[in-house]
Amino acid sequence: MFSLTRRLSFGLRYTNVPSRRNESNSKKLRGPAAQDVSYFRSVLTRPSHSVLDGTASHDVKDEIDKKYNTDWTRHYKGSSDLVLRPQTTWEVSSILKYCNENHIGVTTQGGNTGLCGGATPISNEVVLSMEYMNRIYKLDEYSGVMTCDAGCILQSLHDYAEEKGFLFPLDIGSKGTCQIGGNVSTNAGGHHFFRFGGMHGTVVGMEVVLADGRVLRLNIDNSEDGNNERTHQFQQSSASLRKDNTGYDLKQLFIGGEGTLGIVTKVAVACPALPTSKNVALLVCNSYNDVLQILKTSKEELGEILSAIELIDSNTMNFIQKYGAGNGDHLITELLSSETTSKQPLFILVESQGCNQESDFSKMDSFLTSLYESSTIENGFLAQDSKQIEEIWGLREACNPSVAQAGYVHKFDVSIGIESYMEVAEEVSDALKKSNLPDLTVCCWGHVADGNAHINIISGQFDGDVNEAEAIENIVYSSVMKRKGSISAEHGIGQSKRKYIGQTKDEAVLELMSQVKNLFDPNFILNPGKYLP
Amino acid sequence: MRKILVPIKRVIDYAQKIRVDSSKGPQGVQLKNVKMSMNPFCEIAVEEAIQLKEKNKGAEVVAISVGPKQCTETIRTALAMGADRGIHIETKPDVRGDYVDLQPWAIASLLKGIVEKEDAVDLVLLGKQSIDSDCGQTGPLLAGLLNAPQATFAANIERGDDGSFTVERETDTVITCDLRLNTPRYPTMPNIMKAKKKPVDTISLEDMVKELGLDLDEVLTPQNEVVEVYEPPPRKEGETVGSIDELLGKLKEKGLVA
Repeated sequence: MFSLTRRLSFGLRYTNVPSRRNESNSKKLRGPAAQDVSYFRSVLTRPSHSVLDGTASHDVKDEIDKKYNTDWTRHYKGSSDLVLRPQTTWEVSSILKYCNENHIGVTTQGGNTGLCGGATPISNEVVLSMEYMNRIYKLDEYSGVMTCDAGCILQSLHDYAEEKGFLFPLDIGSKGTCQIGGNVSTNAGGHHFFRFGGMHGTVVGMEVVLADGRVLRLNIDNSEDGNNERTHQFQQSSASLRKDNTGYDLKQLFIGGEGTLGIVTKVAVACPALPTSKNVALLVCNSYNDVLQILKTSKEELGEILSAIELIDSNTMNFIQKYGAGNGDHLITELLSSETTSKQPLFILVESQGCNQESDFSKMDSFLTSLYESSTIENGFLAQDSKQIEEIWGLREACNPSVAQAGYVHKFDVSIGIESYMEVAEEVSDALKKSNLPDLTVCCWGHVADGNAHINIISGQFDGDVNEAEAIENIVYSSVMKRKGSISAEHGIGQSKRKYIGQTKDEAVLELMSQVKNLFDPNFILNPGKYLP
Repeated sequence: MRKILVPIKRVIDYAQKIRVDSSKGPQGVQLKNVKMSMNPFCEIAVEEAIQLKEKNKGAEVVAISVGPKQCTETIRTALAMGADRGIHIETKPDVRGDYVDLQPWAIASLLKGIVEKEDAVDLVLLGKQSIDSDCGQTGPLLAGLLNAPQATFAANIERGDDGSFTVERETDTVITCDLRLNTPRYPTMPNIMKAKKKPVDTISLEDMVKELGLDLDEVLTPQNEVVEVYEPPPRKEGETVGSIDELLGKLKEKGLVA
């Protein structure tokens, strides 16, 4: 397998990219020193849990390195010596105010499941972990608005909402570990983006702490927060209303802002009612033209109950069979033995969610029949109970972990016109075959109804050649950009895609984004080295 | 092998949370808009029946269900897995199949009549129990009524002379199926299409009872009384302790550690 050091040395390549506009400011930042640690110990209420000082012992340093300094892909490694784990908004505010006055860089971290190194320090910034701020305050049974802390794990929000008959509108593979604050800050997309829209629509309110320690309450009810008397600055807040058109909608800046404009400490999310009838089918077809037909037919036949359409290609399915099927072993065997005219069939997961089992089932039935009779699909597997539903989704969620075990993964997350969805993967595959780069498999899976493709290129023998990685990137991104697509559909920018933002945005846009950053964080302490070019 | 009968039950899906609804009476349970599926052990029985059919050409698999009109959907699923024919004994919508109204004795009596009516039935395969009433009685009761050999909680059915459990070819054998027996297959498109053309005979409970010479009152009167229906008590919150010593102290207090 691959030595960890090779991966790390590849990852570090990005950390020294100087920021075009922020250079002069980032030079003024420093890492924390002993007196800073003492200060933090004095203001946080449970310093023994909330302050992890890497200079104090090897054990603590090890813990920090393993848990906070390394990202999920293990491509990025920071060298922070200090992790702070505040328990209240007031503590976050105190930390930021102090760091702002003393020009200490701060990297905010949630579940640390990001795929662009956005939550990993680039050097020795303070890591501010939201993991202890994990209370759920309430769920309004009429509006469906759930109010909770930013450190709540996504799965726990799903469970809480389900108890009360609601569905949390965001669903992604990492939901067992990721936190809602991170999801909001990265504008996470997920499986149900198609049905419920993204966080820009579902987040109705938030509480965010600015770099100078000011706390902004944007359409969020703070009556449950017992810290009223200790908040830095009290501001008028409204009670998480569904509609409020009184002023610029500032919260939109923080959604997808990746922690560079402020730290989200609480969120209010509108949850739809829990659909009681769910149907999932896994379809096998020969070509992308068939997939386009499936997309069209699904909108006609399933209409308002269609909740997700996901694509998985053959290369990916083969890796899942080898490395990750788990419970779905016998499903995947049957799937891969389906008779198809194409040697590289495509697999489509279709999910419907509604509130009437009989009528939903009959819609799904007529949808599948129409596809089968028109030979759009070679075969279809219809889940008959919850266990089979979970198995089919399990295959989709195994895509990422399976390819990660197959070799070194060059990860891409792109957005293209739906008609051209497979073109990038095909063009890249051809280009790589013609190049002298050996032993590369191109895998493609993703949210096809959103035009979002996760292209993962697996290298069987990566030997740390940075030029190889760059060559692959150039091939992929030029293929995307020539189709006017996005080089980061939902994974965000973090550390990994900063330099491309400069190439894909107009000068005016870049200028304004820079000015916004200056306005919210003039000392550039929040997540330095990330996001803006 | 000639005919294999597989009685199947439509129950609340195993992943659904059951909510007691006292507005519906003393044993009320929230049934509206709740996902229903084939009982998981019945699925395993259907799968086993189809595997046996695949190994014995000419065998016919008949799926039977007793319940409201939506049971036809459940029977269609069995047909889509590969069963040949379905029989649906339709009950009125307010008759509850989960032990409150219809109980194993009534079902077993009906099944006995059907086995005799069908004739040439070599094997009846049932799930070991249903996940709503959890009785596990229908199989054994049916075997008793038919005076047939029975084997319950089958985790493996050897179809030869070797192995720990052998099914010998005798008419009217009853077997109930447990988890490890097999993994039920998915209904696939070609089979789903074929299933639509397979016959399902529907007959009302009243007519079936008359045909079999049973007494309707006896069938509908539960033999056992359901005393109470309640949700399990909510899980108690755990206690946080501040140190290992405190943890040891608490464990000793509760007599869990010496």
